[in-house]
Amino acid sequence: MVDTTKNTKLFTSYGVTTSKAINPDMAAKMIKKAKRPLLVVGSGVLRPEILERAVKIAQKANLPIAATGHSLQGFLDKDVDAKYINVHQLGFYLTQDDWPGLDGNGNYDTVITLEFKKYYINQVLSGTKNFSNVKAISIGRDYIQNATMSFGNISREDHYVALDELIDNL
Amino acid sequence: MSKLTTGSFSIEDLKDVQITINTIVGAAKEAAEEEELGPMGPSPFPGLATYRDDWNLKLLDRYEPVITPMCDQCCYCTYGPCDLSNNKRGACGIDMKGHNGREFFLRVITGTACHAAHGRHLLDHLLETFGEDVPLNLGQSDVLTPNITITTGTRPTTLGEIKPAMEHAEEQLTQLLATVHAGQESAEIDYDSKALFSGSLDHVGMEISDIVQIAALDFPKADPEAPLCEMGIGTLDKEKPFLCVIGHNVAGVTYMMDYMEENDLVDKMELGGLCCTAIDLTRYKEADRRPPYAKVVGSMSKELKIIRSGMPDVIVTDEQCVRADIVYEAQKLKIPVIASNAKIMYGLPNRDNEPVDQTIEELKSGAIPGCVILDYEKLGEVSVRLTHEMHPIREAAGLRDVATDEQLKEWVDKCADCGACYLACPIELDIPEAMKHAKEGDFTYLEDLHDACIGCRRCEQVCKKEIPILSVIDKASQKIIAEEKGWMRAGRGQVSDAEIRSEGLNLVMGTTPGIIAIIGCPNYSDCAKGVYYIAEEFLKRNYIVVGTGCGSMDMGMYKDENGETLYEKYPGGFVSGGLVNIGSCVSNAHITGAAQKVAGIFGGRTMDGNLAEIADYVLNRVGACGLAWGAFSQKASSIGTGCNVYGIPAVLGAHSSKYRRALIAKDYDESKWKVYDARNGEEMPIPPAPEFLLTTAETWQEALPMMAKACIRPSDNNLGRSIKLAHWMELHEKYIGGIPDDWWKFIRNEADIPLTKRADLMKRLEAERGWEIDWKRKKIISGPKIKFDVSAQPTNLKRLCKEA
Repeated sequence: MVDTTKNTKLFTSYGVTTSKAINPDMAAKMIKKAKRPLLVVGSGVLRPEILERAVKIAQKANLPIAATGHSLQGFLDKDVDAKYINVHQLGFYLTQDDWPGLDGNGNYDTVITLEFKKYYINQVLSGTKNFSNVKAISIGRDYIQNATMSFGNISREDHYVALDELIDNL
Repeated sequence: MSKLTTGSFSIEDLKDVQITINTIVGAAKEAAEEEELGPMGPSPFPGLATYRDDWNLKLLDRYEPVITPMCDQCCYCTYGPCDLSNNKRGACGIDMKGHNGREFFLRVITGTACHAAHGRHLLDHLLETFGEDVPLNLGQSDVLTPNITITTGTRPTTLGEIKPAMEHAEEQLTQLLATVHAGQESAEIDYDSKALFSGSLDHVGMEISDIVQIAALDFPKADPEAPLCEMGIGTLDKEKPFLCVIGHNVAGVTYMMDYMEENDLVDKMELGGLCCTAIDLTRYKEADRRPPYAKVVGSMSKELKIIRSGMPDVIVTDEQCVRADIVYEAQKLKIPVIASNAKIMYGLPNRDNEPVDQTIEELKSGAIPGCVILDYEKLGEVSVRLTHEMHPIREAAGLRDVATDEQLKEWVDKCADCGACYLACPIELDIPEAMKHAKEGDFTYLEDLHDACIGCRRCEQVCKKEIPILSVIDKASQKIIAEEKGWMRAGRGQVSDAEIRSEGLNLVMGTTPGIIAIIGCPNYSDCAKGVYYIAEEFLKRNYIVVGTGCGSMDMGMYKDENGETLYEKYPGGFVSGGLVNIGSCVSNAHITGAAQKVAGIFGGRTMDGNLAEIADYVLNRVGACGLAWGAFSQKASSIGTGCNVYGIPAVLGAHSSKYRRALIAKDYDESKWKVYDARNGEEMPIPPAPEFLLTTAETWQEALPMMAKACIRPSDNNLGRSIKLAHWMELHEKYIGGIPDDWWKFIRNEADIPLTKRADLMKRLEAERGWEIDWKRKKIISGPKIKFDVSAQPTNLKRLCKEA
């Protein structure tokens, strides 16, 4: 078992509020608890080891995917519900009650983020953190301060193990 | 009584007495206002509130401010620090949104001030050197100053006549800055309106900066065949003394070039620049296309890399985008630094009043690490002579050599794999992984970091083993660096009236699919080559690609399989499929200027004092999209915001989310996608494009289709719309995958559908959207929510409607 909570070191801070560092089992629990979850994946997902795991997470937890950047190409031949949207635009829409969502059924209560540059996703999530009630769970390899809950900083190898544990717990 | 005017007067009966009146407070503005100039719009010499209700709030109603704070706290005044998280209010009463609107606004006015101050410096210097009457010869154009004319209603034709516009920008900047004070403006939306106003002034400041230097310093004048200049570290002859100039303001450099030319030193040394000074030194005296000799070293991200190479024998800095550690770094390699602009003096001693020989001796001996010289005559002589003096000294001391292989191994072996550099790297390069492979003798991973590395040395700041990581990457990348040899067309200045006349119709109808403006700094989030890929893709598709600043450089830094750069492959005219290097950062005013001229010259709109109407025309009819892929500076935010107020959207790199404020529309809210038809004032639905005025993209692959889509306009005719849709959909398929979900929203009738896939796409409309198709006549019977009417006149301004 990988402890994904022990290293929450930051190079710079976004201020007084921080995300709660969580382990994979807790992340799985939160995902299962969500009423309208959305898996948000960045272009880093195209690394094969990650792509395979992202697909498993989406399938096992029945999560729709917001494929941002140019990540959609990884999901086209997979049996998942993935749609392209720009992540900055998505960050804005998540704060708007009238957004019908990617499927027309309304906004989301929880986003699960994976494979972004940490400065970019931190910036996008600073919008949802301050101006909405959307919960953000980061399951990438970097500690994301502006998420609600996040894995800590972990090595790439540990990250694969952590994602496997998450999948087992879903 | 007759009024006093400027000029020289002799008084009768008093021999040898002449009175010269240079300026009368307010007189120039008054004269400008009194002069019969033809039709005038409603907003000459605007103030803080002038554009607010008539235009800015209309834009902001569709393009909503999207706030992404950098920090929970506000530390502005002594009430604080206040915690504003969850949009709480601080002790002064401001909320998180208002504070961050202010933060963004502050960046925009800082950028505006930078360009205005640059313009003021050049204007005063050139007025003093050449006088008031230098004509604004900018090429074959009648509309010389579109930004100045739209803002102030004046049409200057000489250097001296620019002064009222300069004074106006300065006065309004003072008003704008005042609103930042604690206890002043607090509404986010009003900071946005003020930021848009500041953006319009920024393009006035930039326009002034560039037209005065084009006119007085003999720059290319709207020349599509301006010469090609050598570019890249690999083009520098290491055997020659090297004078390296860094910054944005070319005034001082012209004196170095004059000294080199007068003393027959052009072939005996290298003169190379970084950042926009580099671009402008390759424009100096190039109106007649003489063979250029000065070189462009590269963008801002090469500043430390060129210093670490040891090659510069002297560095001269001027202003803007100059690293704060130039003296600190240069000193280690005994490179004297001369600060030539009062905006950056580095704490160095001033040598304006010392004899040249004495100053050279002081610098040569290392008694001082550098000095300030603001006297340009002295600067020209000292910098060039000192370069020749320092070269043999530094050569003999081995200071111009790169590190040895043994040194590299020693550095790499020190790495303890703590990961601190990965955490500190602003673009999150996996330096530990590259170091691990280097330890095992594989240096290719380090080499791969070179193109993406922005040369900031944050990694070195945190390395406990004090490894000079930047030097490690540079040493491992020597082969690539030696091959950094590109070409860039010298900045040509404005787009001429004739070019606008011949492209105007194509742009408004959409048959030239759009203007793509690649501008700005090199703080890329993926790789420097991204701008090359983007430019190439749009050039192949016959967009007009215009560039400025570091973007212009990086587009020319890469070669295709035949060894050709984009500047060699594509023509330099403002034509479909042309690659147009407009010039330096301040030349960005000519990009908005080109769009404004389409409205003024082709569209026949009054330009004078008429921002809202010109911007309205551009937003609805001129397909254009900017790309500031590595925007890092405050100036980039003001340039972009100036584009935005004129209805030109811009895509920025992922780092630019840190500007804290984007402008994004709700593509799902149909009420936002309506305009008026100016013929009768009726509402007409339009497609959701552009979807944003300012936003970010995650990767260069994502930016491509976003930009193509952002060039779609309500005025497109059928052919234009089908061409634009074809490019957007092809780019989406190639880089993102599949067909975009919302392509059907842009279809008004069957003729809008891209020709090559028309039958297939019509089947999809029938099957997926339930549209009714007459397959015999191959026509859409019902379905589209938007209608095509070739003579419709889309506008967001109700006051322009006939029946309004």
